[in-house]
Amino acid sequence: MIKSMFRLGIILALFASGACVALAVVYNITGPVIKTQEERALNTALKDIFPESDGFSDITKELPSSDPKIQILNAYAMTKGGSLLGVAVKASGPSYSGNAILLSGINVDGTIKHVRVLQISDTPGLGANAANPSYYVDKAKKITFTGQFEGKKVTDPFKVKEDVQVITASTITSRSLTAIIKISADAASAYISQKGGVK
Amino acid sequence: MKRSIAVFLQGLVIENPLAIIMIGLCSALAVTTSVANGIGMSLAMTFVIVASELIISAFRKLIPESVRIPIFIIIIAAFTTMVDLVMKAYFPDLSKAMGVFIPLIVVNCIIMGRVEAFASKEPVPHAVLDALGMGLGYTWVLVGMSVVRELLGNGTILGIQVLPESYQPILFFVLPPGGFLVFALFISLNLFLKKKWLESPLGCPDPEGGN
Repeated sequence: MIKSMFRLGIILALFASGACVALAVVYNITGPVIKTQEERALNTALKDIFPESDGFSDITKELPSSDPKIQILNAYAMTKGGSLLGVAVKASGPSYSGNAILLSGINVDGTIKHVRVLQISDTPGLGANAANPSYYVDKAKKITFTGQFEGKKVTDPFKVKEDVQVITASTITSRSLTAIIKISADAASAYISQKGGVK
Repeated sequence: MKRSIAVFLQGLVIENPLAIIMIGLCSALAVTTSVANGIGMSLAMTFVIVASELIISAFRKLIPESVRIPIFIIIIAAFTTMVDLVMKAYFPDLSKAMGVFIPLIVVNCIIMGRVEAFASKEPVPHAVLDALGMGLGYTWVLVGMSVVRELLGNGTILGIQVLPESYQPILFFVLPPGGFLVFALFISLNLFLKKKWLESPLGCPDPEGGN
């Protein structure tokens, strides 16, 4: 009895270690590629939001979130020749299914520069349209869901169905994303005013 | 030789994992909202089932009866994690779109079922053919469903607008209830194909010799 238990345990351990070795090999090959992919994605995303900037510094620790459900993952102060252009905030919060991650850029003058959806796992064809560059909440003016925030004042109410247009049949997604953008913008403008920027 | 062909063809229609055995449905209904997801999921799933059946069949004499299920899960989970890592590294966009459904291949009943019912008893070539057949059977239903759902529910195929701009997408098809309806249609289609198949000269008897 004891003997067979040991035998089974050892066989199981052998299979498990075999699988671990195989996984370690694959991880070692793909790990660096995944890392550079993520870095490249971050760099292009930051460049995309502040194309004129020539440097950025990590200020994640200085930006607390005012909502426990929404997490500020990273924040970067975007600079050009040493002067502050604005703040880019990467924040994650709950949406319709799973967390959504957004990257928002906030100008020193307290307006939103750009919003990008980095990750969303909501229903394709509905909530996921938030990240679709050819889905327009305003079909006539060809404004996308995130596009409508461009130039919006941080101090605006950010009320869904009032000053924020919703994605059809995806009120929950629209509301959650708006909340994430609002929290990011508030945190960023607090940082900017603390640094002596124009409020 | 004849038997190996029969084993391969089995999974396509007569014992289609989705439409006849009806296992692994949750992910099938969830990812078929767009064609790209359908193709990605089928490829990932086919790779995992072929690799797992191959390894398990090769080691079948070394796997003790009483701990076979944990060993199967270790092997399946290892291959699934590899697929996940490779997709993250080389196809980041697809990996983002598939989200949680790639890791969930581990608990896909099709793989567990085929490994337990077939690969753990059969020699390697037959196990691989069975896996390929099952994978292809899964693929055609999944891709077919996603084409119907994306076309009717969004007016596009692979993200390219196919129907005219004036077409008002029937959102119903992208939503879960639409998934069930389309799936039911594919079950009927497959039953029709199965009937035709068994009547045709191609119709081969069950390779297990029973039923």
